Amino acid sequence: MTEEDTRIGVFICHCGSNIGGLIDCEKLANYAGTLNNVAHSEDNLYTCSETGLTAIKNAIEEYNLNRVVVASCTPRTHEPLFRECISEAGLNAYLFNFVNIRDQCSWVHMKDPEGAYKKAMDLVKMGVAKAAKLEPLEMIKVDIISKALVIGGGVTGMSAALNLSQQGFKTYLVEKEEILGGRLNSLYKLFPHDIEASEFAKNLISKVSNSKNLEIFTSAKVTGIDGFVGNYEVQVNQGDSIQNVKVGAIIVAVGSSLLDPKEFYGYDGKKVIVQHELEGVLKNKELKSKNIVMIQCVGSRIDERPYCSSVCCMTALKNANIIKEQNPQANITILYRDLYTIGVAYEEYYRKVREKGVLFIKYDPDKLPKVDDNQIKVFNEFIGDDMLIPYDLLVLSTPLVANSDNKELAQMLKVPTEANNFFLEAHVKLRPSDFATDGVFIGGSAKWPVDITESISQGYSAASRASTILSHDRIEVEGATSNLPEFNKNLCTGCEVCIKVCPFNAIKKNEDDEIEIIEALCKGCGVCGATCTNNAIVIRHFTDEQIFSEILAYGGGS
Amino acid sequence: MSFEPKILGFLCNWCSYAGADLAGVSRIQYPPNMRVIRVMCSGRVDPRFIIEALELGIDGVYVMGCHIGDCHYLEGNYEALTKFNMVKTFLKLIDYDERIRLDWVSASEGVRFGEVVSIFVNDIKQLGPSPLSGDNPDIDLLDKIRAIKSAIGSPRMRALVGRERKLIEEGNVYGDKIPEARYNLLLSQSIKEEYERHRILLALENKSQSVKNLALDLELDPSKVLEHVLVLKGRSKVDFQEIIKNTPIFMRL
Amino acid sequence: MGIHVDMVEKKPCIGGKMAQLDKTFPTNDCSICILAPKLSECYRHPNITIYSYSEVQKVEGQAGDFSVELHKKARYIKEDACINCGLCAEKCPMRVDDEFDRQLRKRRAIYMYYLQGVPAIMTIDKENCLWFTKNACRICEKTCERDAIDFDQKDETIQLTNVGSIIIAAGYNLIEDIEKDTLKNYGYGKFRNVVTALEFERLECASGPQGGHIKRFSDGKAPKKIAFLQCIGSRSNRVKQYCSSICCMYTTKEAMIAYEHNNNLESYVFYIDMRAGGKGFQSFIRRGASEYNIKYIKSKVAEIKIDANENPIVVHEDLDRGTINEMKFDLVVLATCIIPPQGIEKLSEVLDIELNDYNFIKTTPFIPVETSRNGIFTCGCVHEPMDIPRSVAEASGAAARAAEIIRGGF
Repeated sequence: MTEEDTRIGVFICHCGSNIGGLIDCEKLANYAGTLNNVAHSEDNLYTCSETGLTAIKNAIEEYNLNRVVVASCTPRTHEPLFRECISEAGLNAYLFNFVNIRDQCSWVHMKDPEGAYKKAMDLVKMGVAKAAKLEPLEMIKVDIISKALVIGGGVTGMSAALNLSQQGFKTYLVEKEEILGGRLNSLYKLFPHDIEASEFAKNLISKVSNSKNLEIFTSAKVTGIDGFVGNYEVQVNQGDSIQNVKVGAIIVAVGSSLLDPKEFYGYDGKKVIVQHELEGVLKNKELKSKNIVMIQCVGSRIDERPYCSSVCCMTALKNANIIKEQNPQANITILYRDLYTIGVAYEEYYRKVREKGVLFIKYDPDKLPKVDDNQIKVFNEFIGDDMLIPYDLLVLSTPLVANSDNKELAQMLKVPTEANNFFLEAHVKLRPSDFATDGVFIGGSAKWPVDITESISQGYSAASRASTILSHDRIEVEGATSNLPEFNKNLCTGCEVCIKVCPFNAIKKNEDDEIEIIEALCKGCGVCGATCTNNAIVIRHFTDEQIFSEILAYGGGS
Repeated sequence: MSFEPKILGFLCNWCSYAGADLAGVSRIQYPPNMRVIRVMCSGRVDPRFIIEALELGIDGVYVMGCHIGDCHYLEGNYEALTKFNMVKTFLKLIDYDERIRLDWVSASEGVRFGEVVSIFVNDIKQLGPSPLSGDNPDIDLLDKIRAIKSAIGSPRMRALVGRERKLIEEGNVYGDKIPEARYNLLLSQSIKEEYERHRILLALENKSQSVKNLALDLELDPSKVLEHVLVLKGRSKVDFQEIIKNTPIFMRL
Repeated sequence: MGIHVDMVEKKPCIGGKMAQLDKTFPTNDCSICILAPKLSECYRHPNITIYSYSEVQKVEGQAGDFSVELHKKARYIKEDACINCGLCAEKCPMRVDDEFDRQLRKRRAIYMYYLQGVPAIMTIDKENCLWFTKNACRICEKTCERDAIDFDQKDETIQLTNVGSIIIAAGYNLIEDIEKDTLKNYGYGKFRNVVTALEFERLECASGPQGGHIKRFSDGKAPKKIAFLQCIGSRSNRVKQYCSSICCMYTTKEAMIAYEHNNNLESYVFYIDMRAGGKGFQSFIRRGASEYNIKYIKSKVAEIKIDANENPIVVHEDLDRGTINEMKFDLVVLATCIIPPQGIEKLSEVLDIELNDYNFIKTTPFIPVETSRNGIFTCGCVHEPMDIPRSVAEASGAAARAAEIIRGGF
């Protein structure tokens, strides 16, 4: 389209007296009419009203407009409305530009009407200059395979897989052990309701095994992942066989591992054990000890591992409760730093255990308890001296740690891990179950140590997020994406700096060694365009040409 | 008539533009000197945009994005920062770095938006009009700015600043992390080199000349100029035109 | 997921407590900045209908096919006409305690619940409007250029049918909203320099009543030494026995923000157990101690006294040393207990679901989103005090279960 063919319509909004009270909108519309490429300009009382929108549609037809500029409030609230309006009149929605002369002009320069008017003139000039360079764009359509993959068959993975399959999506569940259940299989009772883990596991596994839409791979590992949101091809190794499954979304629910306790407090697996070994002893009703001491925060909340593993306090309380039930005469002392029993049920449980006579003694991380053959020495500030606690069993509460193969899986999926090697979600608060990369989701201890209740909740959450993609045959994503046009391919030197700066992993090198931008993943931030060493990349709707035209319109010489 | 600066602002859609809108909704008053170009992310702000604005005689350029850690696109503002710092380093070479500013303004900081804009307008007022504005722009400064524009757009500079974060944070393909201080040193050396080289290129575009002449004209050390010219020859940007009385004359290719 | 959602909110705008926060832990990013895009997304989403200023008053049917009757209060504003320009509020002569700002500021009788609120429509508060109380005024009507005021508007009853599942996300109240007496020992309501955590949050907020510059209510001076008291009304034999979950974290956050506003600030946190188990939470507390001049004292606070200059004195037992001490401060901030939202009993009757001993919604053991009634789910603080990451994850989880019903897998 040549310059002569560009026909811009400019609509200056009074917004009642919000703009009109300070700025002479009629005069501004006349000024707009003098600008290059402007075929028509008018002023409206409320451009966003039915009257205003109709006026735009009529003008498009009458004056054969192919670009529209509205100068009024702010694009952040009203751009979609006007885009829709011009679509209805037959123009591509992206051939619209918005000029902010209210929120960023008439409302903030009330003491300087002249200055405000000059600013409005410049803004309109810039807006028109950009409009002349706008190109029609289409929303990107991505076909979706409505199937899901859940990696990890513990309580989180099973909950997610169950929910997805019940919603009607075919789901593949991959578990590296021979049986499903994850950590459930090594626990005795589950806090805070003291239900037997084996019962709970049996129930859940049976629901999962009987679910129609669920295909389970045990003793299996994911060894390769290719593709992007809606279109993943995953390689699953099961013994000697290799299978390829095609899915639209992937959920990571690989759980966590136990810390190796051997460097702590003379751990020997017999007199000094860890909580999950205690579970085994209690389950088999083999406890013979009478004086049990538990130490909390062993290997956590230290410089090397600064986090709190959140489940260990409740685990200690639960096991203390079981010990008291099995042997009411047992003496239990828990050495702690802070007791983590948040919420309603857990605080109640804490009180219950205290009432059963379990002793709680705070210790200072700078003065760690010292373990002798028969007693434990712990400094108590209250009495200003060491307390000596006799013991015949010492139980260490150690934290959950990230799986050693998290990094490998993270690389396959192109998702990040954080300082402790747990997976890193997109946003700690508002997107706790998403990864920044679309189509991959996370839940459970793979993300951060959590208890059974929260694992289930997060499993559902990840399933929910996955189903927002899987529910559609096709999703449409914003069209103002990054693009490497055909006519610029010769400019691309393959330097790959764009790949490095993209926060969403939306750029890759394809089999032909060419840079390829995966439009379905592109969020349109424009960083790649600002970085491309040879200016080959074009950021649609915010192109270099468009932005330079705005700068030129203001700087003069246009 | 007192000087009213022309300020160009680049505001990111999610934070600073929203903060500006909030200032509007709250009726915070501030001077009208700034015209805003809306971008989706401050990381979109190409160094070339800033230099172009300065070249045209705009008195001040203000880039605003989300606070570090809050970027809607996760890391875009980090990229904005590295690019802006590069622009500043270039401009420092010619003592012209005070007309640009980078700030983080969040969507809830309406009052602050008004404040920082007022402060910037005032600061630019103190500096006076841009020597490149008006009917008689400072030709010497214009030459220097044009050299910067050309250098800043070169693949070498774009690659150096584009790779900065990854090299410092994750390391190169061999796994070596480059310490930030060392990278900064490398970057400033390169900036100086490329600035001088592009000044030479622009000078040669005007008129083919000898190393001695270039050194005099551009106020650079002749041995440095020779070094640059040889590098530029290696890049096929310049070549010998002729030799006059034992003195080689170079031309722009 | 392609399923239509009707969202019912009893306040004039959606957003809840998060809109009232200045910053959120553990990243200390601006609360409204990350919330606002979500609010507009909800408002503009083709599959979401927001019924604001409305409440559920009757529910019939069963999972897969509920009928829900809503009571929509009249705002006396034509929703299609109001453009939220604010001219009407400028002229309104009435001054009312602003609920959003925790009664620390005044609003008008015609008002916007909060500036960035969605729907961005004004509301007329019938209880305080001169027209409804004294048959006078109506200045707003004369001022409005869009003819958006409609004093004849009536409350509406809306029937929603074919509702497959229901999710309760009714949030929470704080103990000072309903049981102010429990805070007597701490001087709240009596001493001017004792405030609650949410009040302090509004004071710290750049768009709050003090514009982010914290000033004591007694003399307008900026406090240099602040005491933050934990577990006020919670973990208590006399008031609520449970733990309010989020206060350990938000207290450190508030102290950090206060320190950013005033580098001379000394903060003391009086706590029982420091609970920071979420992602990045421990490092957050550590940073508070090392970089923000926050001191943590394991203690139990007995009472607050004041001196002649209204400076509060915290009388407490230092639990590590076993001594009883008094410490003087410029300001005391009370981390008050989260309680179930006002009207929870009526809501539970209407929905026919069980509440637990503390009046939070009772959920199936290990399945925190399931209530006692099939097809009705819950999430967030209405069933247990929890932070934002957990609330968001639970909300998604509840959505997943709700979707199961609608897609037939129940």
